[in-house]
Amino acid sequence: MRIALLVLILLLQPLASFADFEPNFTEYKGEFSLSSRIFPESPLYSGQQHNNYSLSIEPEVYAEWSNNSNFVFKPFYRFDNEDSHRTHFDLREMQYSFYEDDWEANVGIGQVFWGVTESKNLVDIINQFDVVDDPLLKTKLGQPLFNVTLIRESGYFDFFILPYFRERTNPGKKGRLRTDPHFIKNSTKFEGGSQWTPELSMRWSNSFNSYDISLHSFIGYSRAPSINIKIIDGVINYVPNYQRIRQIGGTLQNTLESTLLKLEWIAKDGEKDSSFRRGGSFSSVIGLEHTLFQSFGDNGDLGFLFEYNFDSRKDKSPDVLQDDIFMAARFSLNDSQNTEILFGSIFDLDGDGQIYQLDFGQRLNDSLNLNVKGAIYQNGRLGSNLYILRQDSWFEVSLKQYF
Amino acid sequence: MNIFIKFILFFTLVICFTRSLVLAETPEEKGLRIAIEADLDGQGFQDTVSHMEMTLRNAQGEESVRKFYSKTLELENDGDKSIFVFEHPRDVEGTAVLTFTHKAGPDDQWLYLPALKRVKRISSDNKSGSFVGSEFAYEDLSSQEIEKYTYKWIEDATCPGFEEEVCYVTEDYPVDKSSGYTRRVIWMDQTEYRIWKIDFYDRKNDLLKTLVFSDYKLYLDKYWSAHSLKMVNHNTAKETDISIREILYQTGLKDADFNRQSLKRAR
Repeated sequence: MRIALLVLILLLQPLASFADFEPNFTEYKGEFSLSSRIFPESPLYSGQQHNNYSLSIEPEVYAEWSNNSNFVFKPFYRFDNEDSHRTHFDLREMQYSFYEDDWEANVGIGQVFWGVTESKNLVDIINQFDVVDDPLLKTKLGQPLFNVTLIRESGYFDFFILPYFRERTNPGKKGRLRTDPHFIKNSTKFEGGSQWTPELSMRWSNSFNSYDISLHSFIGYSRAPSINIKIIDGVINYVPNYQRIRQIGGTLQNTLESTLLKLEWIAKDGEKDSSFRRGGSFSSVIGLEHTLFQSFGDNGDLGFLFEYNFDSRKDKSPDVLQDDIFMAARFSLNDSQNTEILFGSIFDLDGDGQIYQLDFGQRLNDSLNLNVKGAIYQNGRLGSNLYILRQDSWFEVSLKQYF
Repeated sequence: MNIFIKFILFFTLVICFTRSLVLAETPEEKGLRIAIEADLDGQGFQDTVSHMEMTLRNAQGEESVRKFYSKTLELENDGDKSIFVFEHPRDVEGTAVLTFTHKAGPDDQWLYLPALKRVKRISSDNKSGSFVGSEFAYEDLSSQEIEKYTYKWIEDATCPGFEEEVCYVTEDYPVDKSSGYTRRVIWMDQTEYRIWKIDFYDRKNDLLKTLVFSDYKLYLDKYWSAHSLKMVNHNTAKETDISIREILYQTGLKDADFNRQSLKRAR
């Protein structure tokens, strides 16, 4: 609630100065989704339920003024019939933007994407992941921010002040895809500050012929928590513990004829690894995306994705992908229903198991979409991040209705 | 010789020389000349904003509709810059493509995915691929630059669908090896350089598609714009119609409206 209040004050400030408040253009729309997640194997940890159903709604209000400004309001709510931690509300966006030819400023709650690779996006530090929403880490929580972008011959310069830190969502006791014990709420530790300790970030990006390049720096809390143990009534609980880090990183993409060569890297220090040792680390994702255009059916494109994930902390990294090969095939049918299928696999080079992924999407009619996705977790080594999920292979069927 | 005779002689020589030049113009040279004249005729529009509706029809007659709008900025020294924004169906609403067309070499293209807020640099190599499952390929919809084809004039004939006009019938041949065509046959009228029909021949030199233009309207007393385009695929019997709902010229768009920051604001 405190975030909402802060942002409201921030928003009213610039809005109040406009004599003509009536927008030139407004739009109301949104999406509603119904999904069922199925776990073929029985749960491993006490309290976990088998399958679950979930509803989510995401309306959107957009208003635009002729003085080069706009406002977007996009709240999100998910209800889960089993896991109370997965039932949650978030302001995905609530942002006022104003812009001229060579700059743009944003105030409010926003979403920022910097990545270029497909298996994960190391460089995306602005937003926290909404892990309960999507275990494949495609959705993010709205981040309170002040942001200015300068557009110059020498590139795009982004400056961010992040006044409030968002905690990662985690499944509750009844939820699947979690650690044992699960993370409890309201005991989170923020080392060296509080949730209101400001964070700063800068980014530069530009394109040179076929190359797109970016560099960033960040000071603030790591988005990934380490684990603290808290004993309540003789029961062991996990508590998230966030450390302040300094990070630099960048992206590079070379767009050749039908091949994209990609790199993401970060170097950071201040974060604790899984053996609670604080230190510096380097991580990268390097790979390529190659597309065989019109290679099957009437117009089907077949894309191959190949990426290597590296983390200098190796098996002490909190990340599942730390010495792993990601390979995937993406079939884009290019039909009137926009059918797309992705088969992916992740192999740990240290022999710590495999993950198989599926993602299928199809338009059923002009405002209804079907999505089927899932993951299989196999052969995780005892004690590893993957081992924890050994019974939690899942698939999810969802219908999304746009309104 | 006095100056008068000198002048007559010079004049006669000039006449003979230029006449022989005209006579010596090969079909290739004439084709190129027509293409350049048509290109010059269409220059100076500065910028346009168009709202379009695309209707896809399969062999059974089932239809699906796409809506989008585009902004185009004319550049003097390079190809046009453009932004395409999808408005319908809902799952792709807000998806946008920024293109910097180049006279030589591959175009630069960025795709904006609004659900992820992601701007992705994409390959522009997929020229012959279908645009959103329609019978239009990307290359049919991209900015047409003189340098991207070689040319040949075939004959003059009455314009298809517009009998009172005489058309140049020309062929052009894509320079880019990734094009899906060996050649295109174009019917263009001689007075206003309006294209009335294009036949597309595939890599095996078989007739693949026919595009027919109609409902031309004049803008700013100079620019003719077809408001109805109909593409028929002869192999699959599928059709795609494009209907231009609105086109605005010289709206005052600037270079700053065509960058990755403004792409993220497109909706």
